[in-house]
Amino acid sequence: MRVLVVEDDPDLSAQLVRRLEREGYAVDHAADGEDGGFLGSTEPYDAVILDLGLPRVDGLTVLRGWRREGVSVPVLILTARGHWHDKVEGIDAGADDYLAKPFSPEELLARVRALIRRAKGFASAEIACGPVVLDTRSARVTVAGREVELTGYEFRVLSYLMHRKGQVVSRTELTEHVYAQDFDRDSNTIEVFVGRLRRKLGTDIIRTVRGQGYRCEDP
Amino acid sequence: MRWSRSLRFRLLAGAAVWIALALTLAGGILSDLFREHVQTRFAAELTTHLDQLAAALETGADGAPALPRPLSDPRFRRPLSGLYWQVEDGGRPVLRSRSLWDVTLALPPDALADGEIHRHRIAGPDGQSLLALERMVFLPDAAEPVRIAVAGDEAETAAARASFDRTLALSLAVLGVALIGAVLVQVAVGLRPLARLRRELAAIRAGQRRRLSGDVPEEVRPLAEDLNAVLDHGEEVVARARVQAGNLAHALKTDLAVLANDARDPASGGGERIVRRLERMTRAIDHHMARARAAAAHGVPGVRTEVTPVIERLVRTLSRLHAGRVLAFAVDCAPGLVFAGERQDLEEMLGNLLDNACKWADTRVRVTVAPDPAAGLVVTVEDDGPGLAPGQRAAVLAPGVRLDEAVPGSGLGLAVVTDVAGLYGGTLALEDSALGGLKATVRLPAAD
Repeated sequence: MRVLVVEDDPDLSAQLVRRLEREGYAVDHAADGEDGGFLGSTEPYDAVILDLGLPRVDGLTVLRGWRREGVSVPVLILTARGHWHDKVEGIDAGADDYLAKPFSPEELLARVRALIRRAKGFASAEIACGPVVLDTRSARVTVAGREVELTGYEFRVLSYLMHRKGQVVSRTELTEHVYAQDFDRDSNTIEVFVGRLRRKLGTDIIRTVRGQGYRCEDP
Repeated sequence: MRWSRSLRFRLLAGAAVWIALALTLAGGILSDLFREHVQTRFAAELTTHLDQLAAALETGADGAPALPRPLSDPRFRRPLSGLYWQVEDGGRPVLRSRSLWDVTLALPPDALADGEIHRHRIAGPDGQSLLALERMVFLPDAAEPVRIAVAGDEAETAAARASFDRTLALSLAVLGVALIGAVLVQVAVGLRPLARLRRELAAIRAGQRRRLSGDVPEEVRPLAEDLNAVLDHGEEVVARARVQAGNLAHALKTDLAVLANDARDPASGGGERIVRRLERMTRAIDHHMARARAAAAHGVPGVRTEVTPVIERLVRTLSRLHAGRVLAFAVDCAPGLVFAGERQDLEEMLGNLLDNACKWADTRVRVTVAPDPAAGLVVTVEDDGPGLAPGQRAAVLAPGVRLDEAVPGSGLGLAVVTDVAGLYGGTLALEDSALGGLKATVRLPAAD
């Protein structure tokens, strides 16, 4: 899953990026509204964490711009303006959730997970595919109740495929959602991750669709 | 147009137009009256001469009319003097004044009854325009009456009129200027209180004065009083804001001291204490911010907020914020109900109550707004969640002992609701709901 963090405070954004990466997300960061707006319009993110008081262009303007362009990525507003008046305005501008600073990181992570899950059409916190169960709350994967140790990239690949369960995901799409923007991408490594996942899970829930990509489905 | 915005210009222009109109009219009437007067006098003078001529005329030895002694006015003897007489007998001029020299007056043919005096305007010698008066006179021993006429040059009256008109125009012009001057003075005197008001306001801005003096004319007094009321309100808001800022600083400093100690002594193991203190600080900020905002808004007269749109917006927002759950909102609010206060304050109260209800509700949230004869507006927010035991309710609502120590400790946002409602003179009460969960009732006073 790939997440964009638009936040101008360097300490807070560093904390957020570190924490999100530890939870298995590919994270891009923008420090002002102009960069953030551009990234959100051009890159395929699975969720955006947006501050409102941004340099250059304020957050609400950025958000309205995205919605006008038809960018439907779930957006969580993270701001010091915690009055209901501000919340109503934020939601009316097209936000999906609103979290007032200060906040606990766990609360933020839970909300981002819920946003992504809802956006992909899952009501439950656990996504199952045959014997493989992905717990989005704890970012853990079990096969028939037994926990499987996965590296960060392996987890990202599996998590994205399971969130898109039943649909064909091209290698390009998978690459875009697994790597952050400034990463030297190589779609061949995706094949390596898929190979390792198949070995570690011990069950073949990831099918290769010739010439198109991969699909996650019940065995 | 900049000039038309000036009070001074408006008053002056109005006065100038009226003065000009009045003086022109007066000048016209006076000039007409004078002309009439001069002409009457002129005709009267000629009549006198005519009577004199009639009295002096006699029948001569040859039976023809004769004038044994000349008329008294010397102008009859001075050639072309502008005053003439003539006597006609049987249609032929028989006697003339010396002033006519070798000319005869060309009297138009006319039939006169006895005693009638007729007037004619005729051309005289030297091309003058003459006013001629004529009548018929019976001389003693004469069978037929003779026609006698006296004529005077009208140029005399024209000169008098022109001279009068010149003098009149000059005097009226002087009068006009004097009147405009008087208006100028009057406007300046009349507008002086406004200028003073402006100076006083400038002095207030410069910090040299605190209020406008009440020593103003009756017409301006309401303005000065309203301005003073606005100044009072502004000062009150600043004072309240200062109190709130002081309270907030007071509330945060203790927490900061604890945090600073923990930060300097890593061995103290204060991790949990820090988190607890940070939560306390956050709540203190929310609490004091809400109070400050509500305190600033309170007392602004005439602020009205319609309730229905606020609830609709909040329900829309909360549906999105709790999108992961299936919640059914039931809103019962008659359209047109208004809250006597700021929209943001109503949003803050209802937002917190509704958010709580959404958090705890199983599936249903109900909002009821009703007018109350005693309280103005009663808003209830209910849910079908687990509810709150009566013992817990008191803890959730416990008001602060003192302003600066009122620690909002519920974490339910209810302290903020209590604060804001309290500032409007309202109350918050918690009860059991018929739906099974908690029922929060806010009573808000009517507009004053």
